[in-house]
Amino acid sequence: MIKWHDLAFYRGDKLILDSVSGQLAKGELVLLSGINGSGKTTLLNLIGGALLPSSGTLTLNGKELQEIRIQDQAKIRSIAPQNRTFNMGFKVRELLNLQPANRKALSTDEIIEELGVVEILDSSILELSLGQQQKVSLAITLIQEADFYLLDEPFSAQDATSVRRILRLLQEVAKTKGLMVVSHNTDHLDANFDREIKLS
Amino acid sequence: MKRSYLYLFSFVLLVILFILSLQIGVIHLQTPLIKLIGKNSGVDATTVWQIRFPRAMGALLVGAALGVAGAIAQGIFRNPLAEPALIGLTSGATLGTIAVISTGVAEFGSRTNVESAILFAALSAFLIYFLAPQKGFGFLITGIAISATLTAIAGVMISISSKPGVQAISFWNFGSLALLNSQIIKVIAPFIEVGFILALFVSRKLDIYSLGDNSARFMGINPKAVRVWAIIALAFLIGPSVSAVGAIAFVGLLVPHIVRLLIGPSHRKMVGLSAMIGADLLLLADLLVRTIFQPHEIPLGLITSLIGAPVLILLLRTKNAMWVSHD
Repeated sequence: MIKWHDLAFYRGDKLILDSVSGQLAKGELVLLSGINGSGKTTLLNLIGGALLPSSGTLTLNGKELQEIRIQDQAKIRSIAPQNRTFNMGFKVRELLNLQPANRKALSTDEIIEELGVVEILDSSILELSLGQQQKVSLAITLIQEADFYLLDEPFSAQDATSVRRILRLLQEVAKTKGLMVVSHNTDHLDANFDREIKLS
Repeated sequence: MKRSYLYLFSFVLLVILFILSLQIGVIHLQTPLIKLIGKNSGVDATTVWQIRFPRAMGALLVGAALGVAGAIAQGIFRNPLAEPALIGLTSGATLGTIAVISTGVAEFGSRTNVESAILFAALSAFLIYFLAPQKGFGFLITGIAISATLTAIAGVMISISSKPGVQAISFWNFGSLALLNSQIIKVIAPFIEVGFILALFVSRKLDIYSLGDNSARFMGINPKAVRVWAIIALAFLIGPSVSAVGAIAFVGLLVPHIVRLLIGPSHRKMVGLSAMIGADLLLLADLLVRTIFQPHEIPLGLITSLIGAPVLILLLRTKNAMWVSHD
């Protein structure tokens, strides 16, 4: 379980995230929504340890985040950032092999098949479209073995067919894992999720 | 091309260049090289084993160190321009060397000289790291400014030093292997080897690190720790090199670009081949330096710049250049 309580974050003296509380449990697919600037990405960065909370508590599987070593945090939660820096010509295959894959929920083959990444395994990441790069980024995150998956705007560069396929994959993963998807444009998506957390 | 073939090719090239370095020079050997093995008396044997052999070993070691350092530096700053000289390591090592020699604290080529170079190289890189604004080109620009300052301080120390012969150190601006002897090689080799081991260790994290600080952290790697270890590795590679042969331009910048075009950008794979190609390049450059204007010897850094700069431009214009700007 990932749990956050009264979590607040200031950048300088600007309040970015105002005492939010919530949780993510295994077996659920949660939508994290809110307007631009409501702190969705900040919350993910806090859970990822990239930012330190100004106040409040944050626990992964019952343990304070700061007390867990960085490499162990990565075994509990895996996060797809909104923008990954792809500035070197890695082959997609190399990027997917950066982490030792050891999954029980879904195999690496199933993930790359479902995401439609199979055809581009031997392409350089730099030659791909934004939408394809986003799929690779998502694959990197899902291949990382963890209990919880947090995805920041995974649909922003996807067409309608791809969105449906990705959602189907996420629902499959959510049978055993906990998933939280950040999206600011949720008009027709919310029916696919178990519940919604709204930030304002 | 397959990686194993590339290794084989660059190794064979290394052996050929090494033998040529022993064979060719101002003094023409009367005895065939093979008959000199095991001998240490006579003009030919002395020329080969006391003068040419340490020099070739130096070219090999320093070339390998510069190649690896370039690969690590570009990876750690996620910037194709980041060569050790641009991020303060070279000027720091130069100052560390000049400081102990011009004040008479240590002799050129001594252990203290090398340790001082490593320490100053690391300190200047950390200074830049802490002073630089965390955005855009802040790091590189701060690096250039600090490097200029340190080089100027070293220049002042040379000018006012009362030690005879210190002024000759200014040849270091272009680098030269002329002062190498087997004693200096023995002193710098273990330090550079430590640098290689640290570089191998750091390189295993650099591929994930390349995806961005947040991304690396989410994948279980502490980007700050990677940077600190990388700077220490770089100091061990660059400090001893600069203390022995001065600042050699372009090798650290050029080698990783060649290697990336050959085998792709994976840092884990790049380290070994960067060492080989760096050694090849410096052996070749030193051979040219000693032979093309015989009996004159031209500064090594001039040749590496004359060859390195145009090659770099050509490489960057190829279709497969492995960097895109993303600002």
